[in-house]
Amino acid sequence: MLALYRLFLRRQVTTGRLLLFGGFGLLGLAVGLAINRSANAGDASEAGVGFVYGFGISLMVPVIALVLSSSSLGELIEDETLVYLWHRPAPRWMLASAAWMASATIALPFTVLPLTASAALASGGDQEVIWASLAATTLAGIGYSGLFVLLGLLFRKSLIWGLIYLVVWELFVSKAGDGAARLSINTYPSSVLSRLTGFELPLADRAMAAGVIVPVVVAIAAVVVASWRLDRIDVA
Amino acid sequence: MSDLPPPAAPQAWPPPDATIVAYDVSRSFGALVAVSNISVAVRPGVTALLGPNGAGKSTLLRMLSGQIAPMSGQVWVAGGDPRTDAAARGRIGLVPQQDGVFERERGIDVVRLSAVLSNLDDVDARARWALDLVELDPDIERPMGSYSKGMRQRVKIAQALVHDPVVIMLDEPLNGLDPKQRRQMINLFHRLGEMGKTVLVSSHVLEEVERFGSHVIVIARGRLAAQGDFRAIRSLMDNQPLRIRVVAEKANQLAATLVNSGSLVGCRVESPTQVEVTTNDVRRFRRELVAASSSQHLRLEEVTPLDDDLESVFRYLVGGQE
Repeated sequence: MLALYRLFLRRQVTTGRLLLFGGFGLLGLAVGLAINRSANAGDASEAGVGFVYGFGISLMVPVIALVLSSSSLGELIEDETLVYLWHRPAPRWMLASAAWMASATIALPFTVLPLTASAALASGGDQEVIWASLAATTLAGIGYSGLFVLLGLLFRKSLIWGLIYLVVWELFVSKAGDGAARLSINTYPSSVLSRLTGFELPLADRAMAAGVIVPVVVAIAAVVVASWRLDRIDVA
Repeated sequence: MSDLPPPAAPQAWPPPDATIVAYDVSRSFGALVAVSNISVAVRPGVTALLGPNGAGKSTLLRMLSGQIAPMSGQVWVAGGDPRTDAAARGRIGLVPQQDGVFERERGIDVVRLSAVLSNLDDVDARARWALDLVELDPDIERPMGSYSKGMRQRVKIAQALVHDPVVIMLDEPLNGLDPKQRRQMINLFHRLGEMGKTVLVSSHVLEEVERFGSHVIVIARGRLAAQGDFRAIRSLMDNQPLRIRVVAEKANQLAATLVNSGSLVGCRVESPTQVEVTTNDVRRFRRELVAASSSQHLRLEEVTPLDDDLESVFRYLVGGQE
């Protein structure tokens, strides 16, 4: 498991990606600072929460998770190296889990840390907002990483399909009503953010337990389905 | 009492020592039938899987290694179905055809990873042993992205051997190797065969297969065209009329001499220096051609068999099935 995890980790760390993710983080910090400068003392915390919800959970976390996770198994299929891992007698869950863990290992520090720092800047150091941002972005990272590992296994050009999913489903359809929102990952970490800070966010009114459990369950379910799919896949 | 000999007992199929058995397997991709109702049994030793490009060799090999499932029929390799039986898969060493490798890893790391995933102890020693077998320096520090094609190919073979498999399947393993490396690899395949391993090597190059060993499975257009001893199949091919192009000073004069000697069954003069002849007896033709050119002091520039390519061989072999 450790050997596979290391392999995925090395494959995913590229200069281009580090620059992209670093740029995202710097942008977040800059926006956080700008919010702090422009917001009144009374609504800085609310502005910080709005920023973590609007920029962090809805854009930065899913995009970074998509770039990393969709390529973890997807690139192995595209460059036809999956066979070297697949043909060994190691269990499939090990392959899927290693892919997810490696993606999350990179995605989480590149999203959670800058977003939490940005939230601290924007909110003027509000402890509730900082801890809520830390929890919500971590949960979002876990959920999206798992989902996009599976997406990379199921679809060619998974990056494009993932972007379409994010834009169409997560940004638009899921905002249309409560029913659709229940089927959106975004709702659950947003609910945690809302509950921990007390600020209302659109369609983010799930229970705290659901907010914590659902992203984790999504990730586990995605790994299980990916393992099942690996068992049946045609390998080049 | 009849004088006729007693009927021969039906030959047991598959042979009891067969380690690879495919029974009536077929596989399509959309409308394309890649492999159709093939039954083969492979015993320990080196066996060549021969066929032109697009014949279905890789598809058959992928079914035999478990990479894809047959749409009908059954596969049994090294004690199980490699598609569903991880233990059986663990007894197979696979060298896939594709060039894709882990570009950012060193060769030793790739072989080591294969050893780890095969649950071996002393992973480092096993990886070095496997790289030694293919005569590649295990201490190369560069990533595989900078390796030559031959070096990559040898890493691919090393990762297939690292767990000392019972069955080794290699899809066009000599691609990208220089003549010396090819010789080394062929010797390695023979050594593995002599150690009692089943080595199944696919190739589309007739001359290459001739050096692999005596057993051959010939696939053409997704079907089994022939199976058995290479020399018997080759001799069948040699007994067919063969077209040969001869380029020489006064080639027409040479051809006339050979027609008169009876070693040709056909001759077409394309120019005074180039003729296309047809013969039923290649050895006799060659002998008499050399003798005639020598006695007439004519220099031979080119003698090229026009039918000795695989396509022609397969046309002949599958001719009876169509």
